[in-house]
Amino acid sequence: MSWDGIGMILAAILTIAIFSLLYRDNPFYRFAEHLLVGVSAGYYVVHYFYSSVIRKFAVPVFGQGDLWLLPGGVLGLLMLFRLGRKVQWVSRYAIAFYVAAWSGYLIPSVIKERIQAQIVGTLPPSPGSAPWIAILGSLLILVGVVSILIYFYFSVEHKGAVGKISQVGITFLMVGFGASFGYTVMGRVSLLIGRFQFLFQDLPQALGW
Amino acid sequence: MAGAPDRGLFHRLMNIDRRVIFLIIALSVALPILLPLNLPIGASREADAYYEAMEALRPGETMIFSFDYEPDTMAELDPMSLATLRHAFRKDVRVIALTNYAGGAGIAERILHEAAEEHGKEYGTDYVFLGYNPDWSATMLRMGESIRRTFPTDHYRTPTDEIPLLAEVDSYANVPLLVTVTASALAEYWVIWAGGKFDQKVIAGATAIQAVLVYPYFQTGQLSGFLGGLKGAAEYERSIDVDGAGVRGMDAQSMAHLLIVVFILIGNVAFLLHRMQGRRGG
Amino acid sequence: MKKTGPVILGFLVGTLMLIQFFTPNEWIEARYNNVLDWKQVVFGITLILGVISLFVYHWKKIEKRSEGWGYSVVTVAGLLFMIVVALIFSPERGPYPWMFDHVQAPMQATMFALLAFYVASASYRAFRARSFHAALLLIAGVVVMLGRVPLGELIGLQHVSSWILDYPNLAAKRGILIGVGLGMVSTAIKIIVGIERTYLGKGA
Repeated sequence: MSWDGIGMILAAILTIAIFSLLYRDNPFYRFAEHLLVGVSAGYYVVHYFYSSVIRKFAVPVFGQGDLWLLPGGVLGLLMLFRLGRKVQWVSRYAIAFYVAAWSGYLIPSVIKERIQAQIVGTLPPSPGSAPWIAILGSLLILVGVVSILIYFYFSVEHKGAVGKISQVGITFLMVGFGASFGYTVMGRVSLLIGRFQFLFQDLPQALGW
Repeated sequence: MAGAPDRGLFHRLMNIDRRVIFLIIALSVALPILLPLNLPIGASREADAYYEAMEALRPGETMIFSFDYEPDTMAELDPMSLATLRHAFRKDVRVIALTNYAGGAGIAERILHEAAEEHGKEYGTDYVFLGYNPDWSATMLRMGESIRRTFPTDHYRTPTDEIPLLAEVDSYANVPLLVTVTASALAEYWVIWAGGKFDQKVIAGATAIQAVLVYPYFQTGQLSGFLGGLKGAAEYERSIDVDGAGVRGMDAQSMAHLLIVVFILIGNVAFLLHRMQGRRGG
Repeated sequence: MKKTGPVILGFLVGTLMLIQFFTPNEWIEARYNNVLDWKQVVFGITLILGVISLFVYHWKKIEKRSEGWGYSVVTVAGLLFMIVVALIFSPERGPYPWMFDHVQAPMQATMFALLAFYVASASYRAFRARSFHAALLLIAGVVVMLGRVPLGELIGLQHVSSWILDYPNLAAKRGILIGVGLGMVSTAIKIIVGIERTYLGKGA
């Protein structure tokens, strides 16, 4: 039997070991669970090390002589100070660098693409420029977005007109959450289909059963 | 049915061993896989837009394909990735592939090579795999300036300066389409960083859970098309006339959904009757 | 040094990354690209740190023979095995990709597939129309669930589910997007100017 064939049988055994949790917690499941954590961590750490330390630091700095990449390595080393209790504060420099850099380029992009573009998309087309059904749909979206934003505005008490508009917002949110639930079920079922396709179609086919 | 429903019956119904429910669900998925019903599969507007964006690519053009998922969601997303790459290679479109998740590297290798072998494509000139890069937002922004500087080597440790495909294409400027197949919010962030800052056209394959969140970006045109969950994959497979795991899974998907709806209905009927009886009992 | 230094560094880096969007200055653009490269190194090492923590946690369990230490041996052995085979055979061939394809990927996929059973069980036991809004959520969920599969399409439900997704759902998600977006921007500003420091840990 080929290594791939052996691998598929092993994959099937491990798949069943994890499914065994559905009956009840048992040592086979626990074994598979811990093996998954160990193997995954081992797999990831190799990629993390190669892609960051080797490829983004060692190759450009030592291979291509690009000294501008040197501070990246220094900041990365500072991060390792988290491992020592007394010197943990040193890692704050790396964390501050990372979080602030992210914050810096996030501000204009989020304002432009997430806030401004979404607000523009909410404005209904002017009458006559689109079919009336499209205009009605746009108005519905406008009502929904505005009422939800008012619902999220906690600086005023949700009473009177604000309270009523908030209720409209909650109504839209509930329909949205319902749609999310429907899609969540779809996603989870698809994952199960994938495993059953492996057990009942791919495995027998590969092994010539 | 004569007389009022027995309260004990509903109590028993609601306290049924959950393993019975598990078994019924397992059967609802397994049986249609073993005995397909071949239900007809319709198309959605967003999947059609995804197909049209791919179809608009011309031979010799280059697209970026990002495998932004790990094995946990490969059942949903592998069919999309495979179908998209088959479509691209069939049209002689060149592919620059990458992943923003370490676990995506193993998936990408398998799918890329499968699609490339089917169409006789050569590594380095027709397609390239850049591998995993940590920090997706920095990767997306950095690629806009230089792909080769973002990835000094490819996944196989070959310097990217020596790869013919990357000698011609080194930023979004020469890439008419970017495809992300993702299980997280990366569709949104490709739109924000690559689309917003560099005017890159983006389409996405998304897990069902993520799909529901990208509708606002599709409506504004920031996202040119998307596939939602396994159904999206099945729709796209039908569009390119190559049935795969997406189409094969649709019968099971239908049956399991139907069963879950029945579960919800039973639960709610029992709940309402129980409440009515409680009121009557005062 | 311990508190103010990181905040000053954050202010300088955050400001550089912010103003880059508004200026064509080549020097600033070059430094901006440097910061993006450095960020990737820091991020990668942070992830490695997470794996080291996992190793230390299980190693201590084994040393102390804590409850379930035998399972920790499995985790540590799996972790070390992957690193060793990647070093000996390379990550591109041999046992390393084989373990990914036949051990990690199927188990990870199955772990998430378990959720299908739990979501079905929860739907049966807990998904109740107890109020108007709960009923609305339930109806929308059922329509989308059926409308997005071939069975629902046979009875025309795809039109209703598309309408829900394209209008009320879109409005809901957009409201959340804009709300969260505003929150992100205000938090980012607070981080750059040093008002928000909780991310630096205790005592900052």
